[in-house]
Amino acid sequence: MVWRAKARALLSEPLVHFLIAGAAVFWLLSGRAPDLGERRIVVDKAVVGAIVGRFYGSFRRLPTPDETDGMIRDHVADQVYYREALRLGLDQGDEVVVRRMRRKLESLTVADAETAEPSDAQLQALIDRDPARYSDDPRTSFEQIYLGADTPKNRAAANAQLTELRAGRPVAAQPAPLPARLDRASAGEISGMFGDEFTLTLRTLTLAQWQGPVASGVGLHLVRIDSRAAPAEPSLAAVRQRVSNDWRAAAIVRAQADGYARMLRGYDVVIALPK
Amino acid sequence: MRKAIVLAALLLGATVLMTGCKLVKQTVIGVTEIDNTPYPQRVYWGDTHLHTSNSPDAFGFGNRLDSEAALRFARGEEVTSSTGIKAQLKRPLDFLVITDHSDGFGSVKDLYNAPRMMISDPQLLRWYDLLHAGPKGSMQATREVIDAKTHNTLPKALLNPVGAEKRLRSNWMAHIGTVERYNEPGTFTAFLGFEYTLMNGGNNLHRNVIFRDSGNQVSTILPLASFGTIVPDGLWDFMDAYEAKTGGKVLAIPHNSNLSNGEMFMFTDPSGGPMSAEYARRRAAHEPLVEITQIKGDSEAHPFMSPNDEFAGYGAAGWELGNLDLSAKASSEMQAGSYVREALKRGLLIEQRTGVNPYRFGVIGSTDAHTSLATADEDNYFGKHPGVEPSATRATAPQNLGSNTGRFGWNYLASGYAAVWATSNSRAAIFDAMLRRETYGTTGPRMTVRFFGGWNFKGDDLKSDWVKAGYQRGVPMGGTLAPHPPSTPGSGAPSFIVSALKDPIGANLDRVQVVKGWVDKAGQAHEQVFDVVWSAMDQRQPVSGKVPAVGDTVDVAKATYANTIGAPDLTTVWTDPEFDPAMRAFYYVRVLEIPTPSWVAYDMLRYHLQLDPAIPLKQQERGYTSAIWYNPV
Repeated sequence: MVWRAKARALLSEPLVHFLIAGAAVFWLLSGRAPDLGERRIVVDKAVVGAIVGRFYGSFRRLPTPDETDGMIRDHVADQVYYREALRLGLDQGDEVVVRRMRRKLESLTVADAETAEPSDAQLQALIDRDPARYSDDPRTSFEQIYLGADTPKNRAAANAQLTELRAGRPVAAQPAPLPARLDRASAGEISGMFGDEFTLTLRTLTLAQWQGPVASGVGLHLVRIDSRAAPAEPSLAAVRQRVSNDWRAAAIVRAQADGYARMLRGYDVVIALPK
Repeated sequence: MRKAIVLAALLLGATVLMTGCKLVKQTVIGVTEIDNTPYPQRVYWGDTHLHTSNSPDAFGFGNRLDSEAALRFARGEEVTSSTGIKAQLKRPLDFLVITDHSDGFGSVKDLYNAPRMMISDPQLLRWYDLLHAGPKGSMQATREVIDAKTHNTLPKALLNPVGAEKRLRSNWMAHIGTVERYNEPGTFTAFLGFEYTLMNGGNNLHRNVIFRDSGNQVSTILPLASFGTIVPDGLWDFMDAYEAKTGGKVLAIPHNSNLSNGEMFMFTDPSGGPMSAEYARRRAAHEPLVEITQIKGDSEAHPFMSPNDEFAGYGAAGWELGNLDLSAKASSEMQAGSYVREALKRGLLIEQRTGVNPYRFGVIGSTDAHTSLATADEDNYFGKHPGVEPSATRATAPQNLGSNTGRFGWNYLASGYAAVWATSNSRAAIFDAMLRRETYGTTGPRMTVRFFGGWNFKGDDLKSDWVKAGYQRGVPMGGTLAPHPPSTPGSGAPSFIVSALKDPIGANLDRVQVVKGWVDKAGQAHEQVFDVVWSAMDQRQPVSGKVPAVGDTVDVAKATYANTIGAPDLTTVWTDPEFDPAMRAFYYVRVLEIPTPSWVAYDMLRYHLQLDPAIPLKQQERGYTSAIWYNPV
């Protein structure tokens, strides 16, 4: 009997009708297509290689044939249990599985951003969006005479001292661990020593003239600005390192946020807070 | 057979190769020329002790911020903390050393990210599952890992030499690549380093290891693991080998001597025998600095050894009870080997006997934060690890490693930072300043402190450029007084220029003190604290040798203070009134702020907490300089 004839005979059997109908019902109810792959466990070279490799990693030797057989049996059992558990929905509500899956998908969403290299045009665009961030600080060269705490008494004395200075006579500074002269100091350096308020006041002072008293975070000062240099336009060559770092950090954050937002759009989220 | 081994090696290396190739592209960094000033003209602020998600315990405690986030935060960028809070420093730092634990560097992160099927060790599997089971499980796993590390019972699989080395190399190279990208000479210095987590039982003997060099040199080594060792000799060998191999430079900074149960600064060598000159020389050569203050307490001085110092014992509560995991309680006698001031005295005694001072070290402060966030400000404090990032419960939450109890969230200090007098903001200049100990540490405030010692400084020196005079006619903090020149006028006693300025956005100063230690003719070590300059000196006359308290403007309920007391600047020239040229001595400066609210007070306000009245809500923050030493001829 040829196989076609056998098949025809089988298809006319009521039992076979019942089985086919049963499978269809099972497929409909389970919500999963009966995929031949899910019911096939293949232990090939790659799988054995992974099993042997893991054993070697733990014991620093190759397994004996018996041990290999045992591990393959165990692998098959893992696969059977795993697939049956999935079929029964045991992955649902398991926090370990949930977090593991989230972590896997998260790393996939940022993998491209982590290895991407920005073009010069992309970096230039980032500079153009916020040139102040990448331009050098304005540089200020100035002298300062520290007068001590910001008290009414010291303020009153400051005016007399200012007159002395303007007349070309020296004025004694209150000794403090502050430089009398700063050359081409950046706003950041000045703020670090004197506080932001002082840095901002310096910008309003006229050049080449003793002025004050100027208040800082540490007290009062008489100040003479000798020069100010406006920041040069930031050039990509000068700030490439910093702008590349920014581009990369932003790209990773964006990839993560976009990836999540894209997936989230496919869901209705209903939050019912307890009263 | 051979083929199978190759296959196995390939499989083990697969993840390594994937992460490894990212590096190669990133190592091209421009070389910038930096101008150095002739002598140090400004102080640079940094943290020499910070952990990221590469530290196994940090990751386990929930830290998901990597080296890049840590560097961006230190540079002043806003970063979202591991618990989802926006974090930013009010002022950027000038430099940062990320010091992740070399033991298991990156391992818990890798364990977490590994395919579960690759894990065969049952203990690792347990930790793996705990790590994925939410914050509580993660904490539990971390406590177990630390316990196992402390008692040398970590699973063999974690220590597996071949697999671990490949994994370590991949994580180390990725870290180096990131640090190189963020090192910007002149603007921000990013150092390469790691923490060598040496322990004897639970006795903390940890060291931070810092390299002067670029990734090209540092990538020739892997961070040295401390597993199985209980003495630092292996680390010193490693450092010698690194310098011989690369021509580079490396130093080590011990920290948390306060949790060493007396073993950090021993009188003897580790075997218990008398310390030899050679051993003392090795220690001093490799460890020029000590971390004097950090989140897990302050190690300056303890009331047991310094009963006459009313400011001793700052930040000792909780920490003084015993060693790191409280597996052994500390006896009072042990404290002598656990605190810096006593170590400086022991150094003199050992020098008297052997001719070499093993403890001729300078000091810095740092955070030891495990959050990737180097915060040390009371009003902007992100805690020791992500489990104690800002929250209503962190002040009172028990904080214990392993199963022993006794420490609580409020025992943590929002401390400290490292201040370095360097000639530029660059790896070379800052590292060299550390080598010559021209450094000081604070509990967080950025006060400016100068300290020069010489033989003929006078009050009049303050009328002209006294900093220049300090360098020309004396030595700065960290130095040793030259022998007394016979022709020099003056009393024959050393004199010191001491000058402190408040943090420009911080509290006024209460007082400046010189702490002197010396060894008498009978071979006994002594100490004395001198108030040398203080605010409102006319009104605050010393009573039986002590300057009265500065007062207190703290409003705890509002977490505020007022600079209506104290002074912004305190400067003087001080001459040792009890100098004896026959006795070896050291002098260091302690600067005290007026009382300010602690981070717990800010939390109390923020979260409307009712706290046990025993919990301190205010403090006097402080700075400690490296000492200046005197040796009799």
